[in-house]
Amino acid sequence: MPDPFEKTLEQLLDGRDVSRRHFVRTLSASALAVSGAGTLLAACGGTEGTDKGGDAAKPVSVTHAKTAITELDFSNWPLYIDKQVLKDFDKQYGGKTKYVEDINDNDEFNGKVQEALRRGRSIDRDIVVLTDWMVARWLRAGWVEPIDKRNVPNAKNLQPTLASPKFDPKRQYSLPWQSGMTAIGYNPEKTGRELGSVDDLFDPKFKGRVTMLQDWRDSAGLLILADGKKSDDATLDDVMGAIDKLGEESEKGQIRKFTGNDYTRGFASGDLWVVVAYSGDVVQLKADNPKLEFLIPEEGALIWTDNMLIPQKPPHAYAAETLMNYVYDPVVAAKIAAYVNYVTPVRGAKEELAKEDPETAENQLIFPSDQTLAKLQPYIQLSLEEEREATEAMQRVTGA
Amino acid sequence: MSLSRRRQLLPYLLLAPGLLWLAIFFLIPALNQLNVSLWSGTPETGQSFDWNWSNYGEALSDYHQHIIRSLLYAAAATLLAFVIAFPLAYFIAFKASPRLKPLLLLLIILPFFTSYLVRTNAWQTILADDGWIVNSLQTVGVVGDDGRLLATATAVITGITYNFLPFMALPLYVSLEKIDKRLIEAATDLYAGRFTAFRKVTVPLALPGIFAGSLLTFIPAVGDFVNAELLGTPRQYMIGNVIQSKFLRVQDYPEAAALSFVLMALILVGVFAYTRVLGRERLTEAAL
Repeated sequence: MPDPFEKTLEQLLDGRDVSRRHFVRTLSASALAVSGAGTLLAACGGTEGTDKGGDAAKPVSVTHAKTAITELDFSNWPLYIDKQVLKDFDKQYGGKTKYVEDINDNDEFNGKVQEALRRGRSIDRDIVVLTDWMVARWLRAGWVEPIDKRNVPNAKNLQPTLASPKFDPKRQYSLPWQSGMTAIGYNPEKTGRELGSVDDLFDPKFKGRVTMLQDWRDSAGLLILADGKKSDDATLDDVMGAIDKLGEESEKGQIRKFTGNDYTRGFASGDLWVVVAYSGDVVQLKADNPKLEFLIPEEGALIWTDNMLIPQKPPHAYAAETLMNYVYDPVVAAKIAAYVNYVTPVRGAKEELAKEDPETAENQLIFPSDQTLAKLQPYIQLSLEEEREATEAMQRVTGA
Repeated sequence: MSLSRRRQLLPYLLLAPGLLWLAIFFLIPALNQLNVSLWSGTPETGQSFDWNWSNYGEALSDYHQHIIRSLLYAAAATLLAFVIAFPLAYFIAFKASPRLKPLLLLLIILPFFTSYLVRTNAWQTILADDGWIVNSLQTVGVVGDDGRLLATATAVITGITYNFLPFMALPLYVSLEKIDKRLIEAATDLYAGRFTAFRKVTVPLALPGIFAGSLLTFIPAVGDFVNAELLGTPRQYMIGNVIQSKFLRVQDYPEAAALSFVLMALILVGVFAYTRVLGRERLTEAAL
């Protein structure tokens, strides 16, 4: 995206009116033609599955020598940072950060770069931000450069709950960027009552006014929690069962649509009454319509994390680690949290934010309490083959 | 090189850029996709070419409904676009004052000055559940009280019709505009009524435009996915939605390529049959 255009666009959107993910949706649709071409090219010429079998639990030691910071290539999702943070970073360290908002969808981004990664080439990026399950996939394939933690002392500020995920138990390769919750948004004026449970999605009174997310990790994940299962215990059978249930409800017309992030529009306009939604979106929608509710159902909800990682053969590894260190400073993290409205992984950011903007610091959706956190479960993790089976089954249900 | 020899070569030289374009941007990608459509395996386990025709079987058995739906929606939209565009083009060609013509033509293509996505998004607002259109239709009882337009087949077909209307209207206008008015006068002189003159003179002479317009509308409409995505639900998704998500989300390239080929084959056969019905010279006339 050329700079002047981006600037105008950002001024227009300015965080509040349009949520990040809504923007993502519009953007990704328009980028389809372009990225589609890229994906097709990637598909050319056959591929061989070279799973290097990276084991993220094994201790690694890596040294990235301190060098002068000249340049940094950072790929992230749209509207996922306060750009002032990057300007401050460049000023402080004297480099030039090339920040590109070219990740619109985990699968899509993966499709764009996987061919180069598989051939062992650099993708000319120092930091990319991917969701847990995609990080897991990249780690298994061995496409990720370890982080030299000596260059990231601020990593000590990482929330303990996020310190040892299954896919990277010692956080040797990844650091959380932001987390978010997947739960249920609803419009009490339309539903006429308070909701409390996942089953409320299937109340016949809401027929045709309900949307679910098209990623099975979100929609099927919620249904499985509603059955009283823990994410870590869920199997492919559970997922397929939940997808079948989604298919039935879709056939009946109960579910109006399976959405990416485009539910925000219909939810704001009142066409949609009950939506499976991301917390950050609802925070932003509530700014315009405080009546909208975000419900963490009694059965629990999902929490996911987008993680920074350094792809293989990075051009500027030390610069990447310096930036990771910078954004793990609670003052900087507070700035980012205030802008993006998702859950920050940095301890101390809340206290910093409370000084400037106490109202945001008290927002349960940005800084969930321990009580809320206790109800949250990670995404279900399946093997690669099983993930594929689930994705294909979900596609048959969503039709796209 | 002698002059006559150069004369002989000239047509080929003139054709060369076009042929090269076709070869690079159509033929090679198409052959490549044909190759991909016969792969087996998944990206994770490794994929290779091995004449895996079952991709076609699976694609057809899973998604034949989407293909039929796409053909029906596109046909309905083409018909609607024709019904709307013909009187419009007729008016501009025969009735509008010469000074007004350029303005009216500009108005037809004016929506194209904004992005396709923005235009389609606007229909979400127009057809919204609480919008005035739905409310007025509910008042007169066309739409049930708990009924809606958005997220129905009506919305998708409306969207396609709207988005492709200029592709129908402009060729119709061109062929109507070309008609020598004296032919119609001659018909009336020979005791044809206005309707007979219209039927026997105007419509046959407008056929190239009808042919071109319907192809220009129908073909892209079959492969469209934006309207179904924004205005429909999974029960309205078209084959374009499936191909798009197979390529970009599921990354099942072989089946996506197979579906693309099935679609291409169906359209080719359809166009061929259509050409047969309307006569082959019409196609070339239309192309001119």
